[in-house]
Amino acid sequence: MTTHDAIITVADLHKHFKVYKHHRGPGSALRNLFTRAHHWVRAVDGITFEIQRGELVGYIGPNGAGKSTTIKMLTGLLVPTGGELHVAGRVPWRERKAHVAQIGAVFGQRTTLWWDLPTIESLELLRYIYKVPQARFRRNLDDFRALLELDPFLDTPVRSLSLGQRMRADLCAALLHDPPLLFLDEPTIGLDVVAKERIRQFIQHINADRGTTVILTTHDLSDVERLCRRVMIIDHGHLLFDGRLEALRERFGGQRELVVDMAEAPREVAVEGAEVVAREGLRVTYRFHGGEVSAAELIGRLSRRYPIRDLQVREPEIADTVRRIYEERLLEQ
Amino acid sequence: MRLFWRLIRQSFRLQLTYRAANLAGLATNFFFGLLRAAVLTALYGARTSVAGLTLQDAVTFTGLSQATIACLSFFGWYEVADSVYTGEIAADMLKPMGYFSYWLARDLGRAGASFLMRAVTMMLAYALVFDIVAPRTAGHWVLLGLSLLLSVVVSFCWRFLVNLGAFWTPEARGLIRLAFGASWFMSGFLMPLRLFPDWFVRICNLTPFPAMVNTVIEVYLGVLSGPALLRALLGQVFWIAILTALAQLILRAGVRHLVIQGG
Amino acid sequence: MRSLLDALDLYRRLIGMQIRSELAYRTSFVLGILAQGLNNLAEFATLAMILSRFEGIGGWSLREVAFLYGMVSAAFGLMDLIFSAFDPGTFGLDVRRGTFDRLLLRPTNVTLQVLGSKFLLRRLGRIGQGIAILAVAAPRVSWTPLKVLYLPFVVISIVLFFGALFIIGSTITFWTVESVEAINILTYGGTEMMSYPMHIYGRGLRRFFTYIVPAIFMNYYPALYFLDMPDPLGSPPYMAFLAPLAGIGMMAVALAFWNYGIRHYASTGS
Repeated sequence: MTTHDAIITVADLHKHFKVYKHHRGPGSALRNLFTRAHHWVRAVDGITFEIQRGELVGYIGPNGAGKSTTIKMLTGLLVPTGGELHVAGRVPWRERKAHVAQIGAVFGQRTTLWWDLPTIESLELLRYIYKVPQARFRRNLDDFRALLELDPFLDTPVRSLSLGQRMRADLCAALLHDPPLLFLDEPTIGLDVVAKERIRQFIQHINADRGTTVILTTHDLSDVERLCRRVMIIDHGHLLFDGRLEALRERFGGQRELVVDMAEAPREVAVEGAEVVAREGLRVTYRFHGGEVSAAELIGRLSRRYPIRDLQVREPEIADTVRRIYEERLLEQ
Repeated sequence: MRLFWRLIRQSFRLQLTYRAANLAGLATNFFFGLLRAAVLTALYGARTSVAGLTLQDAVTFTGLSQATIACLSFFGWYEVADSVYTGEIAADMLKPMGYFSYWLARDLGRAGASFLMRAVTMMLAYALVFDIVAPRTAGHWVLLGLSLLLSVVVSFCWRFLVNLGAFWTPEARGLIRLAFGASWFMSGFLMPLRLFPDWFVRICNLTPFPAMVNTVIEVYLGVLSGPALLRALLGQVFWIAILTALAQLILRAGVRHLVIQGG
Repeated sequence: MRSLLDALDLYRRLIGMQIRSELAYRTSFVLGILAQGLNNLAEFATLAMILSRFEGIGGWSLREVAFLYGMVSAAFGLMDLIFSAFDPGTFGLDVRRGTFDRLLLRPTNVTLQVLGSKFLLRRLGRIGQGIAILAVAAPRVSWTPLKVLYLPFVVISIVLFFGALFIIGSTITFWTVESVEAINILTYGGTEMMSYPMHIYGRGLRRFFTYIVPAIFMNYYPALYFLDMPDPLGSPPYMAFLAPLAGIGMMAVALAFWNYGIRHYASTGS
């Protein structure tokens, strides 16, 4: 079911790679010359999803999960092996030039700018390449200069910029042509906390203010927690989860903790439905499964049995939740 | 001393792993050897011997000069400069041996492996295609081995010395390339030095370059004997002494400079 | 016509960035020019000294060899100036490192972007040195209006020839980096080989450089025409004028292969 506002539609997308194996051992050099065993790697093995305009989506997964392969197909760098893919009404690799004119991309690991020349020169050349009218360019540039505080280093060669500065310059460069869709790959990698926050604020702003759809690929799950309402988790080429962050926590958050400060030390502290994971003087930490027993229920049971002075419920970290999903493959039931 | 040997072996083994690159390099060497052999053959024309070299000597020369390239990292060696720029030098300097000796050991290992993989194979391939000259007596081979070892050390001292430029300027690569250019020109690599006018040879002998390439090739070809041979070998030793002393001096100054600048 | 002008404009801006970048490193730039120029002049000086001792090579005098040598040197320098982005060594690295992908994400022609991503002004050193050596040969040529007209065509043909080799070498790096050395044999080996009269080489080599890689048409046959020398191998005089055909032909093949390479790259990634 496609809605009118879908900017990305993906249906049963596949990408298979042929990987050649080199023979090893005696006579291998000769054998390699004549035959090469190969097997197929299914980097993306049938994924389906839709992204609406204005969404801010996190696309996460362990290394080798198929993340970058998906992004490469969405940006038009890679041709799929099977399935359907439409971005802003186009098939990316078929109409490369028209497609890339509508997207912006920032890769944390490398820059899109010219290394040895002042930042502003790169921006001006990109203006020409993306055919941005002068007035709009000026307006956007002034906007981003203020939001990203670019003025101190606009005239500095890109090679002299700090990582945070370069990232901000890359963000500006990616948005000069007002793309409706922005791909961010590890935009906060290697940055300190303050710089990270600045980038996150900016991303949030352009999503809220300009309605730019943002696809965020990252290993930093605090980015996801901070920015994304919707999360997609991919592993081994399959989409393991696609939904709201709260749903993720609820369904798989599973392990919650209840820290209880007793009024006095009882002989035993066991309770039905939870296990004791720590005990230090009057403080007892219980771990329970959110799906099996609610916090309220557990608190009720505890207060009926023990004298409680204070308590605190601890939510699981999203990082832990996601790790559990990878490790336990919860969705593969 | 044991560390020295261990480094040599380590470097030797590492170089042996670069098999693919070596095969490609060999092909290039062989092609250029063939080319230059054709040129020299055409030059000789009907002549049987020029400046004491027969055509057979000259053709063998073309293979030998290619064979020495890899051993001597002849076309460019920026490892010390690179280590300064990446900051690796800090770790290298903390090793329990002299900085110069550290690199010497590594280079000897590399040269040894290159010798086996590139020089020996090159000459074997040449022997298949051409009628080449080769040492006949055991004594000759021993002298050749000695001269080759001396060549590698002279070459190393020179390369190390020019790389030290990196201690002073971030744009040392250009200077190093310039220095290498000079070595190609004056070492008897393109053409045997004997074939050049005397005034030119005299100028070249003021530099360490003939001691890197020309001497060992002439020892191989057996065109040197008695006092001339001795003089050539001593010449190699002489250059090793001078370049090593210079290198140590400049290294010390360079380290001081680097430490002060906080590179 | 419009798109051609647009393309030229884009190219102009791209190489403008490259030139300004290169000039930002002033000392390296000057050193680079000097080093190249001196190196090549030194090589020619070596050749001159040798040729004077042997009184020519294969019946060719120093001035006659200088024609071959200078022509190849200047043309190769010019090719390297324009096509250095396609040097298989560096291009292979770019593909592996992912910097090539960057170009696919911009809404302009990829080939033009690659071409404009490097413009080594310092190659002027080699071009200058090549011209200087050609000047040594110039007095030996009895110049006619046709010869003067044809000379730049020969140069351009050689530029296209080596440019095509570069492009083919770079395309191969989409599959494997291991062939780079082989291409170097053709380009750097090729320039050295073409600096001498072809008849000194064995038949196998000559055949290879006639039928497989048409190097013999680029430099040798035109030289026979310019120097009014007969071909010891007895080929007809019109061979001298096949250079532009061979150059354009090779470039066409190279570009077709290149486009195929990009399509393959998009379907398999790296």
